[in-house]
Amino acid sequence: MTASETVAPTTTPPAVETLRTTRGGTFGRLLRFAAANIRRRPERFVLAVLGIALAIAAVTVVRTISASFAITGADSVTRAVGDHAIWVVPAAGVEYDSKADALVAKGAPPALTLPDGWTGHQTIAGLWKSPHGHVAVYGDESLSGTQATLGTPLADRLGVSDGDTLSLPGQDVTVSVSGDSPILSVAPDVARAVVGDEGWWTADEPAKDEGRKDLGPLFGTAVGLPATTNPSETPAADGKGLVYDMTTGSGELSFAQKYASVFSGKVTNSALGLISIIGLILGFVIAISSFLASVQERRREFGIMSSIGLADEVLYFFLVESALVFVASWAIGVVGAGIAVWAVLPHLATPVAWLQASATVLAFLPAMAIVGAIVPVHRLLQQRPVALLSDS
Amino acid sequence: MLKYGLAYGLLSSRRRARQMLLPAITTATGAFLVVVVFAMSAGIKKQSASLGHADEIGHAIVLIAVTVLLVGVVEVAVATTRTIAHRTRELGVLGATGVRPEPVLVALLVEPVVSAFYGALGGAVLGAVVAFVLQALGLADSGVSVGGAVTGIVVAVLVSLVAAVVTSVVPTWRAVSRPPIKSLSAS
Repeated sequence: MTASETVAPTTTPPAVETLRTTRGGTFGRLLRFAAANIRRRPERFVLAVLGIALAIAAVTVVRTISASFAITGADSVTRAVGDHAIWVVPAAGVEYDSKADALVAKGAPPALTLPDGWTGHQTIAGLWKSPHGHVAVYGDESLSGTQATLGTPLADRLGVSDGDTLSLPGQDVTVSVSGDSPILSVAPDVARAVVGDEGWWTADEPAKDEGRKDLGPLFGTAVGLPATTNPSETPAADGKGLVYDMTTGSGELSFAQKYASVFSGKVTNSALGLISIIGLILGFVIAISSFLASVQERRREFGIMSSIGLADEVLYFFLVESALVFVASWAIGVVGAGIAVWAVLPHLATPVAWLQASATVLAFLPAMAIVGAIVPVHRLLQQRPVALLSDS
Repeated sequence: MLKYGLAYGLLSSRRRARQMLLPAITTATGAFLVVVVFAMSAGIKKQSASLGHADEIGHAIVLIAVTVLLVGVVEVAVATTRTIAHRTRELGVLGATGVRPEPVLVALLVEPVVSAFYGALGGAVLGAVVAFVLQALGLADSGVSVGGAVTGIVVAVLVSLVAAVVTSVVPTWRAVSRPPIKSLSAS
């Protein structure tokens, strides 16, 4: 064979084999990495999830009670005042009677003369201690002397159904059952005979003052009573009463919403709220402790990663692991809380309140998961890769 | 053999006192709350009554205090998993020299039991002291019940001990039943 001769290739050169990448993109790979680490120490994952889930369950139970109270507070004030602009309560104030599940006045409506152009009326609203328990009785001018309306739960409690006769002190009435109102509405005279002269005023502004945001002070000055938009403010014991301004500017909380927050605040500011927050802090300590233990055991692994320039990726690993721990804890915690609420507080909490509470607790999670991941990673990245690699 | 395991566990737990501090503190926090709730139950009932549904709220407070105690005790078990990981080779040596798993299990359970017991007792006694100090200062309007405090201490200590053993026994058993060669070759 001469040099000028060419040799025809008998085989084709092997194709460059590309390394197969794992499926699922970066996030999918991070998830698989986190899952692999969880499989390495499953008991620690289970314990961390258990501890945080218990803490989340405790907070969810308290928030469920609080949300139930908020719903109750908003409903009770809406039933009492409707959409009127002004609510004038007696000097003794009003109170929510938990047995009657409604607001009742603790004294006679203040004596006042409505200013010119204002419309309003007095509502008798008091408590009847019936043989079947406490019942809120409201006077309703649209009802005649023998008529009464009430909701189904109250009708069941009183043992009456639509069209039955209910014996009230001094008068028998024929009941009409509809809706779920916990209030027994009767004619004002009948209500006065049952609960005495207890109640409040509601009023609305004249057309010329419509849209004004100072209706409370305007009305209060005219009738000589102090006015407020804050439902947590109560009448002075030595005063004549208090005017609540129910109007709401755009973007402001309505009076019912403010009243609801006063109600829910009673729970969150009580021993219940304090204990549950301590529980949540302990749960967070468990999360941090568990991640720190994981960092300690994986120093060499992170040393290798840091030494090839993957220091930032360590944060992503921990963020994903932390997110998995907190999401699993949240799911177990809220389900556990739902079961606990159903078993221990069947009459107090509602499914809507539980859902609201679950959503509220979910709002805490991102911050907890991020801080839970950053603390151990920060501690890790304080050290040089060689220090991490040289540890036994 | 179990008594040797117990002695070995006590000696090693003395060496690891610092690592037992955090679980003891978290357990103490839960025990403190349980005792305060039990000792000041009259005041808590009064507060519950002001919220309405006194009985249900009262039950919820006890339930949540015990739940918080359990949260504190879980840290004991997390610390146990840390101990086990730290002592993997030691467990391998014990297994390779013919020590049976039962005494090793007892030795490893000493640490969670000691942290849970001392944590719960410390927190519970502190809770009782704080409750009585509040009463002496006139800050506990409805008084503090001695019976309630004692019940709280007993409940806190018993719940902590049982929860610590129950949550620690599975990871500990998994570690001691691992073949010694695997434990010895662990990095």
